[in-house]
Formats: sequence, C-alpha cells, structure tokens
Amino acid sequence: MPRETPRETPRETPRWDRLDPATAARLEEAAVGILARTGVQIPVPEALALLRDAGAAVDGSRARIPERLVLWALDTAPKEIVLHDRTGQPALRLAGRNHFFGTGSDCLNVLDHRTGERRRATTADLREGLALADALPNIDFVMSMFLPADVDQTLADRYQAAELLARTRKPIVLVTYDLAGMLDGLEMAEIVAGGRAAHAERPQLGVYINVTRGLLFNEDSVRKLLVCAERGVPALWIPVTSGGTTGPITLAGTIAINSAGILAGVVIAQLAREGAPVVVPAFGGDSLDLRTMVDPYAGPEPKGVAASLAHRWGLPMFSLGAGSDSKTVDEQSAAEAGMTMLADALAGGHLIHDCGYLESGLTGSLVQLAICDELAGWINALVRPVDVSDEALALDLVEAHGVDGSYLETDHTFTHYRERWYPTLIDRRGYEGWRAGGATTMAQRAADRVEELLASHTPTPLPPDVESVVRAVVERVQAAAGL
Amino acid sequence: MNDTEFQAMRQAVIDGDADAAEAAAKAAIAAGIPPLTAIDEGFMVGMKEVGAGFAAGDLFLPDMMLAARAMQRALGVLEPELKASAIERTVAGRVVIGTVAGDIHEIGKNLVGMLLSTSGFEVHDLGVNVAPERFVAATREHRADIVGLSALLTTTMTGQRTVIAALTEAGLRPPVKVMVGGAPVTGSWANEIGADGYSEDAMGAVELAKRLMGAKDRAGAAGAVGTAAEGAAR
Repeated sequence: MPRETPRETPRETPRWDRLDPATAARLEEAAVGILARTGVQIPVPEALALLRDAGAAVDGSRARIPERLVLWALDTAPKEIVLHDRTGQPALRLAGRNHFFGTGSDCLNVLDHRTGERRRATTADLREGLALADALPNIDFVMSMFLPADVDQTLADRYQAAELLARTRKPIVLVTYDLAGMLDGLEMAEIVAGGRAAHAERPQLGVYINVTRGLLFNEDSVRKLLVCAERGVPALWIPVTSGGTTGPITLAGTIAINSAGILAGVVIAQLAREGAPVVVPAFGGDSLDLRTMVDPYAGPEPKGVAASLAHRWGLPMFSLGAGSDSKTVDEQSAAEAGMTMLADALAGGHLIHDCGYLESGLTGSLVQLAICDELAGWINALVRPVDVSDEALALDLVEAHGVDGSYLETDHTFTHYRERWYPTLIDRRGYEGWRAGGATTMAQRAADRVEELLASHTPTPLPPDVESVVRAVVERVQAAAGL
Repeated sequence: MNDTEFQAMRQAVIDGDADAAEAAAKAAIAAGIPPLTAIDEGFMVGMKEVGAGFAAGDLFLPDMMLAARAMQRALGVLEPELKASAIERTVAGRVVIGTVAGDIHEIGKNLVGMLLSTSGFEVHDLGVNVAPERFVAATREHRADIVGLSALLTTTMTGQRTVIAALTEAGLRPPVKVMVGGAPVTGSWANEIGADGYSEDAMGAVELAKRLMGAKDRAGAAGAVGTAAEGAAR
C-alpha cells in the first residue's frame, strides 16, 4: 500500500542496549586498532588508490587505515536511508531505533508444507514465496527466499531479480553472485523506478554485498561497493567473520575483526563518493558450532552486540533475526525465530531479515514465514508507545461509572475495542472450541493461512510495457550466455 | 604385551596430550613393542574412540584436532623405527584433495584431510582454486587411489564434473575413485556427475574413503597375483 510518510516504529519506547558504553568503546577501539595495525587486503587497485590518496598506508594490496579516516567516514556517511516501495512512496526509514522484518534469500531447499518433503526449490516456489511475502502484513521488505534449481545456475540471480520486481511492491534487498549480476539487477530496478536518477532518489532496492572475511575482501565485493557508491544505491556491506575459523573463537575477538571490516567498507564508500549510502551488519560474533560444523543462526551470545556498535556509529543497519537452526517447523523453529526477532527489534535493528529460514539458511518454509509474520505483529505491538491521552485514560468515564458496573456496553468500548492487539495464528479459544476447530497446532493453522493467502492475493503486476523491458534484460543475458 | 603401555598410548590420544603421546611412544620402543603394533593397537584405538565421539556429537572439533596432533607426535617417534626395521606402514590409501577452480573455501577440506591422515591415509592437499590439470598431475605423481573434490558455491561445483572428465580423459579413471563434498553438494549431484561417492561431513568422508578402498582392493585382487600387502598386515 502506498504511504505518504515512511512507516516507522515510534522511537520513544525504551530499547535494550546489549553493550554498556565502556564495552562498546573498547570494541570500537580494538576494531580501529586492527585497521591501523593489521589493515585489510583489498584486491582492487581503484579502492587502494582512493585509500592511498586519503593517507592510508598502502603496501601492495594491504591497506592500513588510520583512525582519522575512520572518524571522517563515520561523520560523512548518511545516518538515515529511506527505502521506497515500487511506486516510489517512502516506506522504510532506516534510522534511530526503527525495526522492520523481511524474508531471507537463496534457500537451496524448500520444506514443502503440502507434501512434508524437503526438496530442491524451484521457480514455482520462488514465485509462491514472493507472493506470500507480498501478502503478509508484517513483512516489510523482501529478499529472494529461494535459489531455484530449475534455471541455469549461473544466471539464477537475474531470474530472482526479475521475479522480485514483478511480484512485490515492497522494498527489496537483492543478493547477486557477482558484479555482472548486480549490474543487471540494478538495471532492472532502474527500469521499474523510471530511470537511474529516479531509483537513486527513491530507491526500492538495496544491494546485499557478501564480503568473505573481515580483513580480506573478495574483489567482487569491493567492485560492487564502488558501483553502488557512484550510483547512490544503498549498499549493504556485509563482512562475515566466523569465530574459531576466520576469527578468534571468542566473541570480542570476532566482533573486533568484523567491525574492522565494516569500518573499512564505510571508509572506501565515502572516499568513492561522500554521502554514499551504506548499511552495515547488526549481526556478527557467532562461532561455528564445533560439534556439528554448522554455522548457527539463532545463538544467543552475539545478539545485540553489532547493533549496539552500529547505533554508536549512527549507521543504518541490517540485522539477522528470525532464522532458525531447526530442520523442521516445530517448537525449536518458533522459539528461535521469536527470541531472535525480539532481541533484534529491541536492539533497534533496522532491517531484520531471514524470516522463514530453517536449517541454518539451507531450507526455506512458507509455513515458518507465516509464523514469523505473526511473531512480528506481536513484537510490533510490544514496542508501541502507550497512549496516555485523555481519551485513553477515560477518566471522565471512570468517574461517571464509579466503583462498579460494566464497561462492555459503553460507547467508549465500542469505539476503541479494535485497537487492542489480536492474533491471527496464535490460538486463544477455550478447550472445547479448539477441539471443535480441529485441535490444530500453530503450524497447521499457519499452513492453512499460507494456502488462503496464496489463493486470495495476487501481487500487483508491473505495467506490461515495464514488464517487457525488464524481461528483455533477462533475455539479453540469456542470449549472451548462449542459452 | 603390557596393557598399561597400550592404555597410556590410547589415553594420550584421547586426552589430546602430545607430550604424553611422545612419551608413550618412546616407552613402547623401550619396552620392545613393535612400532606397527603400537600404532595399530595403541594410538589408533584412541583415535577411533575420539572419532566415534565426534561423530556422535559428544566431542568438539578441537578435541579431534588435539587428538590428531598427539597422534602425529607419536608417529614422529614411531615412523623412523618402522623405516629402520624396513617395515612399511600400510597406508589405508593415497588421496589427493583440493578445492576446485574458482573457489577459495578450505576449512571443510582441511578437516577431511586431517581426519583421513589420522585414519591412516596418505593425503596430498593441493589447496584451493585448483585447476583440473593440477588434479590430474598430482593424481599421477602420487599414484593416488582417491581424489577428493571440495566446492562451497553452487557456481563452482560444476568444476567437480570438469575434474572427473579430465581424470577420465587422462586414462587415470578408472581405477581412480572420486569423492565430492561441500555445502551445496548432494548425493544426487554426485550421481549426476558420475562421482564415486559423496559425504555430508568429514567423518562420513573417512568412512566413504575406506569403503572406496575396499572396493578397489576387491577389484584389484580379482585379477592380481598374490602380493606382499596381505602378508604385511600383521
């Protein structure tokens, strides 16, 4: 739905800060120190030149970045980014203590709720997933959800970009394999927005950039960052450090390395273009589970740490909540999604992604997504400020009522009863009513809701002339690949 | 045979205590225990226990790594003794492993290499971003029985198919066996590209390698003249 002003959760409600100021300061100091002493490895001459010209010590492809550059970059980087919907209306203001919920991207598998089967995801799953994400009221932004196995795997990201733009009007975070994929995806988004300038002014799309390590940047990631900076496209610069393997096993050490990588990216982007919009990770610090070798999505220890630092730096951020390590939709998946979504929302995590993720990101579930939507609604109601207006306090009514009598039949109740929060999937019937209704579990009710929404909701299609120009981009890429 | 000494060898590995392993190895020699016996009935027993604990989810990867280090320290003492008495430790098999071209991920591969090595395989790790030609050359050079291919990305896993083709073209396969692994790799992918096996995790890779060697030995023995290998087992 088009909105006049960006939707945001009110900022007056007190939030949770995982770090006290002294701890935050120590982590920041450590990160800045790593940048100055150890530096980062950047295999892109253009980025190295920018750093060298700005006074960083560049030796081969290693750049040691002084603190004053970091402070300058933090000062220069935008403190707010507004993502728009497909019609160009402002939708999500990434600033302050706002939080928004979104799906994840690129699950290889789908847990098919109709058959119970865990199987490779297809284009049909991608389309259904996006339609569902578009329909769910508490999903604020959309990522690709599935990596379809039934398309050429080297071009899958182009198909995903085209489907995202076609099947939702909500803001999008786009993941692509390489620079060429990102350029094609941006081209499509710019077509939909009505031109490069239009998209730069009112971006629907933010680009997710996967940086392989905190201090060692893959060439693609830096090239993507430079293009986004130049075009004014919001760049989600996401280094990942895994405790015990690519960083120290301890939480602080891993955070220090990853924060160094984050800050280096902010510096490079601002040197490329002052005011380049960068979104930083509000997650990080987890370690590989050293019994199972799985990278866990829902561990408690790192929650809120990176978010606290991102708030300290005043930067728009991208959180990882809602993902579950469970292999199925069950008590674990609901508990993990709920706790991580709540933690990230209270931390003011701006864009919180991975709703619908199971199996540590390898399998997506439409039922889990619907459950996450319910949990998101619960959380959004939790953080609403309490209305203490005269109308809400209703003191005149209390005075008139005296000490007894029923409020049920009053006009005040009739006027305001729908303002209280009501669940959609959470069940509050009495026992007999619940039994008569099929004695359902939340997962069963969520599956029913998924079917209802898919049957009743048709995403607003792109205008045919726009849709054909977008499709021409995909066809051109296919032809170039000899397909 | 002195039980206490074998207990000490086994325990040193279980405890991940390299110093104790070295001491136990030296004590074994001093007690006149044949080095091969010390390895197979002392240290390897501990290694298998740790491996089982890890596979069961009770032990952590660092526990395996410490055990492997203790094992290596013991082998450092015992292998020269084997050479001196001109006994060749039968390797369980010769393996060439690497991450395919275009892919720089290595942690899983390193883990597999470590576990194979401590399970008695001779392992040649080619590193990351390895071109098909290098796999072929290394297979030839080291007379590998098995080639292990790792890929972490859906965009690089096709390289596994390429290496299999290169090995076949070079006339090395058969009899060389190929096993594949990595996060996006599945059993059906392995079948599709004609690999000889696939494992979801490192412990499974060791079991797979043993199975592949068993199949090779049966195939080899079918047409071969009796070799000394069977005699060297004890």
